Amino acid sequence: MSQTPSLRLGNGDAPGARPPSQKFTWAWVGLVPFFLFAIAFLLLPSASIVVNSFKGPEGGFTFQNIIDVVARKDLRSAYQASLSISAITSIGGGLFGFLLAYAVILGGLPKSLRTFLVTFSGVASNFAGVPLAFAFIATIGNTGLITRAIESLSGVDIHRTGFSIYNIWGLSIVYMYFQFPLMVLIMAPALDGLRREWKEACENLGATDWQYWRYVALPILLPTLLGTTILLFGNAFGAYATAYAFSGSFINLVTIVIGGQIQGDVLFNPGLGNALALGMVIIMGLCMLGYSWMQRRSARWTR
Amino acid sequence: MSDSNLTGKMTRREMLKLSAAAGAGAFLAACGTPAAPAKTAEELLKSANTIPMDTLIAEAKKEGSLTTIALPHDWANYGEIIETYKTKYGMKINELNPDAGSSDELEAIRANKGSKGPQAPDVVDIGIGYTDASKKEGLFSAYKVSTWDTITLKDPDGFWFAEYYGVLGFEVSKAQIKNIPQDWADLLKPEYKGQVAMAGDVTKSNEAVMSVWAAGMSRTGKADLAAAQEGLKFWAEVNKAGNFVPVIGSAGTLAKGETPILLHWDYLALADRDTLKGNPEIEIVVPKTGLMAGPYAGAISAYAPHPFAARLWWEHVFSDEGQLMYLKGYAHPIRYNDLAARNKIPADLAAKLPPADAYKKAVFPTLDDLNAAKKYITENWRTVVLGQ
Amino acid sequence: MKKVNIWAWIILAIGMIYFFLPLVATLDFSLRAEKDVYPSLAAYRFVFGDPAFYQNFGSSLLWSLLTIVVSLLLIVPTTYWVHYRLPNWRPAVEFVTLMPFVVPAVVLTFGMIRLYCCDPLPLVSSPILLIAGYTILSFPYMFRAVDAGLRAIDVRTLTEAAQSLGAGWPTILFQVIFPNLRVALLSGVFLTFAIVVGEFTFASLLNWPAFGPYMEFLGAQRAYEPAALALVSFALSWGSIGIIQYVGQGRGGEANLAGAR
Repeated sequence: MSQTPSLRLGNGDAPGARPPSQKFTWAWVGLVPFFLFAIAFLLLPSASIVVNSFKGPEGGFTFQNIIDVVARKDLRSAYQASLSISAITSIGGGLFGFLLAYAVILGGLPKSLRTFLVTFSGVASNFAGVPLAFAFIATIGNTGLITRAIESLSGVDIHRTGFSIYNIWGLSIVYMYFQFPLMVLIMAPALDGLRREWKEACENLGATDWQYWRYVALPILLPTLLGTTILLFGNAFGAYATAYAFSGSFINLVTIVIGGQIQGDVLFNPGLGNALALGMVIIMGLCMLGYSWMQRRSARWTR
Repeated sequence: MSDSNLTGKMTRREMLKLSAAAGAGAFLAACGTPAAPAKTAEELLKSANTIPMDTLIAEAKKEGSLTTIALPHDWANYGEIIETYKTKYGMKINELNPDAGSSDELEAIRANKGSKGPQAPDVVDIGIGYTDASKKEGLFSAYKVSTWDTITLKDPDGFWFAEYYGVLGFEVSKAQIKNIPQDWADLLKPEYKGQVAMAGDVTKSNEAVMSVWAAGMSRTGKADLAAAQEGLKFWAEVNKAGNFVPVIGSAGTLAKGETPILLHWDYLALADRDTLKGNPEIEIVVPKTGLMAGPYAGAISAYAPHPFAARLWWEHVFSDEGQLMYLKGYAHPIRYNDLAARNKIPADLAAKLPPADAYKKAVFPTLDDLNAAKKYITENWRTVVLGQ
Repeated sequence: MKKVNIWAWIILAIGMIYFFLPLVATLDFSLRAEKDVYPSLAAYRFVFGDPAFYQNFGSSLLWSLLTIVVSLLLIVPTTYWVHYRLPNWRPAVEFVTLMPFVVPAVVLTFGMIRLYCCDPLPLVSSPILLIAGYTILSFPYMFRAVDAGLRAIDVRTLTEAAQSLGAGWPTILFQVIFPNLRVALLSGVFLTFAIVVGEFTFASLLNWPAFGPYMEFLGAQRAYEPAALALVSFALSWGSIGIIQYVGQGRGGEANLAGAR
């Protein structure tokens, strides 16, 4: 993101032709409404996370919550579980979602299928919580449609083998239901932007499909691809209702622990809940940093 | 005083006159009370004493409406209780979030301290474990209903009062379970593999914690910390045997077949049986040992926008009719014994519940034991039962 | 192109199987509401006969419309401005839009309640907090969609061409940029709509009538009806999105996709 105008390509900018103008010092005003809104309704309420992390169950100041988050084995494993499921579903979801988007937009399929998939994705990306959990319990649970079909076809009683879907892998399958569509929805406009002329130009120059992808399409798509994967990661990381409805606190996830501390009828240590949330913010912050670094490197190709 | 004495002491005659005068004055003063100004609304609300029904109804009508929270119509027959309050007293009721849990209700009070708007609840119905802490926090306002003396579980100062209770039992789907378990120990049998579930999550729901405690109590006989420890061991065995299904059970998962043996409050299980109408057939089992009672307590918000309507509500709930409405919803009203003693319970209503004998062994835990057990169970659930 | 075609069909087929199996399982269960009668529409009759269903869905529709308007008004000009003039501010804006993922809804709501419960800003009594919360929730999706759309068009050229023809900012935004962002905007709008209709935490904690709490509540009380309700809401959302899509296409059909083709 250097400011040497002579190296900036594309965007129709005549290199070095833009004289500095007074307007630039006021340009940030354009961002004021957005930031004001964000401060009032996002940053300030979230700041309470930091403040409350240091509150003890009786109300006094304490470091115990922060210590607990780092030291307690069950809390560390909660983070591990949350991170694994987020990684699995963001990478897996990203990959297959991308393939789906590609299939309907550039795969030569009828236009109507594209509209169908895009509108379906709009709904499916938010089909979460109790209905989604129940739908999967009804499909692959102990008495689910698929389970019973397999049992009647193969004669094996899945119950007795001790197989259970109530673990990270089972939950990942459930999470994919909103991860795939999200990828489709965000990648669709990006794939649209891949101009046919570029593909044709490549073919004219004798490039193979693979070369087109490797040297033209992927680099252009990479920022959006990475950005959406991070989105998927965050989406899975913060998911709560679906996991809870699926198997309660059986799978030890950070969001479930937080829910129990802040809102439950039994435990009640909001300080700890906030400290855990603070941990989540820090982790996502680090991901964001990694992402912007990656993005800066790959953004070269769009300029 | 004609007979004044050099020592200043009164003569007997003077004494008599003086006392007669004083007595007469006092008598007149006492008779004069009806002529003294009536108590203001403020004073009526501040004192926790019972307010006469006429005044109460008049003041409540002036307020016009009541805001409730977390009262699903199918839960302990709140639907009928709410409707009769509306029709009998000509009041409106603004029902907030029927899905709220006890902690959500208290949070709603806190959130609306400064506002008298439609989001501020007047009355709450919370699990008994929440009562003390909330009273200390100053969230409640005291009031003793006219039937105060017959309420068996309450705060002596009137800040909260138990309204009804249920016991923790087994809700069993007969479509899938041929041999109905009769007691806690039966749940360990291998025939129930992958079929035993709780209606909540131990880290979040009081009902689930009670499921653990009651299981332990069936082994130790008392509702104490030892029972909590035994309870966790019991559930560890259930989990090890593969009988435990971690799904949070509900009528839906029961009907689907995923959670055919569900540990649930009896009144909710009985209500489920009605809702499901035999699809599937359900049997409700009150376990022979380890019978835990779970009372719910009511209170008035200290920041209630409609304090008189709130007090009228409690008069309604604790009246004989109100309490019997709970019974129609299969929940045991707290004044059950009083009603039974005065033969106020209709025979057909009594028949719909499991036999009264089964309830004789129900244990009402003390608040201290409850809090200690809760703490122990929730802190050790993961390590002991799930081995994590 | 033929080779790609087969793979495209295969992938789509796998996707469709994955998406529809759970829906079929839910449908199957929802049709069993009546004892010994299969299929039975009893569960659906209950849902459609329940006035609370209409009230709550209507409320959520209203919330979603308001949220979409607020979100579009906040996100589109901001993202455009970042692309056009202030690329250095991008990381800050992006961070803000990703925050809703990291801050659990529960914590955010409690934070908002505590801040705005009392004087001088008692916002708790009006739906402002709810709409604000929903708008915040929509940020990641709306921003990502608009951002992807803006990347695909040449913002600078379009703006400067319009300016050189004498267009003012409103004209540039509404007649040049917005039409080119149609696909991206639509996908952002769909996502926001679906989010608001299905959302539970905010509505429940702030105690406003909405579809999410209603679904949750029904799930706690009844067995077959929640399954019916889930499918009905899925269909309704899908239908609404289809309508938005149709209206948004305008008479040009798919002609105005992002960027010239």
